[in-house]
Amino acid sequence: MPADLPPLPPFPPSPQPPGGAARIEAAELVARAVEGDRGAFGLLVERYAAQARRVAQAVLGDPDDADDAAQDGFLSALVKLSQYDPRRPFGPWLMRIVANAAADRRRRMRVRRAEPLDPSLVGGGPRPDAEAVRSELGARLRAALGELTPRRRAAVVLFDVEGYSHAEIGEILGVPEGTVRSEVFHARRRLRALLADWKGA
Amino acid sequence: MNDERQFDHTPDPVLGDALRTALRPPGNDAAFVARVMARYDATLAAGTVPTWEVLARWARPGIAAALALAVIGGFVLGRSLPPGAESDESATVEAAIVPASGPGLAALVTAAAPPDASIVLTSLVEPQ
Repeated sequence: MPADLPPLPPFPPSPQPPGGAARIEAAELVARAVEGDRGAFGLLVERYAAQARRVAQAVLGDPDDADDAAQDGFLSALVKLSQYDPRRPFGPWLMRIVANAAADRRRRMRVRRAEPLDPSLVGGGPRPDAEAVRSELGARLRAALGELTPRRRAAVVLFDVEGYSHAEIGEILGVPEGTVRSEVFHARRRLRALLADWKGA
Repeated sequence: MNDERQFDHTPDPVLGDALRTALRPPGNDAAFVARVMARYDATLAAGTVPTWEVLARWARPGIAAALALAVIGGFVLGRSLPPGAESDESATVEAAIVPASGPGLAALVTAAAPPDASIVLTSLVEPQ
């Protein structure tokens, strides 16, 4: 190759999806993990642990079951890492495995895990401090989430909490994009009404 | 928090923050990571996904295989029946449409002139 070639013109700025840099890094970590790098897999688990636990909890409702499902998801991903296509974002691929693990666990349990609404919260009792207020709001939100279908819960959490696009959520949940939009719409309507009532109170 | 935002194409930060707080799992992520990594070697050594997932994956093929076996078994069983059973069945069908006496059902339905109702009823109701 001649040494005096003119420098290449800079690439025009291209729109980068959110988390683009993280995606490349995740793909690199996956490549290292496939080769047996335990630390690389550990970094992946560390990076996606919170997200996977939230998604599993959105599906299952119960935090302990959610952690079991999230763990199953990570370990399933470990043995499937060689099947991951590095040209695609890693997050949706992993969250699909986690969501499937949670859904399978839910089917096996055959027990509705909706957290019953604490009667003391319904009456809007005293709110001594900010932490108690947040805790009470969290309890109300969890109760409201418990009234939604698992798919609706997962859709709104993946969209509004984790920031995935409708198309990515469709891939994760295995449903058409239009279905995801509908699920997010209905979940938001229910949850926003709750938040509005809370703020108005 | 209004209806116009419900079809937004962007995440709602207020709702997102509230949900993130509500779904905050007990215990820190480090403990969870350690728990997952504790099974790293065993999972790779097994070289397979957890048992429940294997079972779930094979549930549908298993049901399909069971149905196919049932159909094949039924076919084989039917073929292994003594020939007398099949001929008895066909004889019964023939006997049902060809009465022991009289013009017969086929002749009645293909005749140009309408038959007498009493003949039709007799040929259909009369025991063979």
